[in-house]
Amino acid sequence: MAARGFLSLAQASEASLIIASQARDQGAFGELVKRRQGWARALLRRMCNNHAEADDLAQEAFIKAWDNIRNLENPAAFPGWFRRIAVTTFLMAKRRQKAVFEVIDDASPLASEESTPEAAASAKIDLEKALANLSDAERLCVTLNHGEGLSHSEIVDMTGLPLGTVKSHVLRGTDKLRRLLDAAA
Amino acid sequence: MTEFNALLKRAFAEAHEPADDGFSLRIGRAVARRESAIGARAVIYAIGLGVAGVAVFMGVFPLLWGFGQDFLNSGGLEVARAQGAFNSEAPALTSSVSEQAQSWMQSISAGLMGQMLLIAAALAGGAVAYRASQD
Repeated sequence: MAARGFLSLAQASEASLIIASQARDQGAFGELVKRRQGWARALLRRMCNNHAEADDLAQEAFIKAWDNIRNLENPAAFPGWFRRIAVTTFLMAKRRQKAVFEVIDDASPLASEESTPEAAASAKIDLEKALANLSDAERLCVTLNHGEGLSHSEIVDMTGLPLGTVKSHVLRGTDKLRRLLDAAA
Repeated sequence: MTEFNALLKRAFAEAHEPADDGFSLRIGRAVARRESAIGARAVIYAIGLGVAGVAVFMGVFPLLWGFGQDFLNSGGLEVARAQGAFNSEAPALTSSVSEQAQSWMQSISAGLMGQMLLIAAALAGGAVAYRASQD
């Protein structure tokens, strides 16, 4: 508690909460979870396409974060650090389920017709519904690329997939999303 | 494609999950349970170490006790011998102080050979164990 050094957890900066969590302050970590849970659960829900499983994985990821938060040297790096934990947790769960991420599904060829951004913009975007039509690997790569703003090489570093595979998954996944969203429009 | 990508990024950014207090509570409880379990494990570990320490002490103490007595007896005997040798009257003509000292050292060596070997073995063993732990 001494490490907290502020009166209200709700008013504390994220860096202060992280430093207090590193001193094993459960209240500070609870506040950190409260602030970050929306982002973490959304990230995992997009990757999993299953709300219950995503929440279980998010819980697992937060507990791993609690166990290892002392290893986090720079509090400002928390989002990237936690994202890596979440993605690793997701990949481990998929490995337990024997999911294959490296095989590129050529049965779903790229769309030949060009769609306009305007058409997609006018559509009511149901992102979750569209993401559900992607393979696990495409969903993972598209979420990390478009949702989290990671470059291809950062996705390679985080997932361990080959660069060519990541590029293909992002390209195909994005194209599938465009077709699905155009169709919805 | 670039515009569509920008649109996708916006869609991702706008689609955050609403906060769920139940979720935060579950994490809080799981963390508290985890910390209690870690605390309990630390206590069990400390108790185990204490019991092991007492057991080792009880096993080693009789050996040390016997060895210590033996060592003190032998040492006392050698001191008494040396004192006797130095106090003896009219040493032989050929016997110089250095010969007496040599004789005393030989006597000490013979009397305490077992103990000295044991100490040397213990030091060597300790050095080997230390080296192994450093490696």
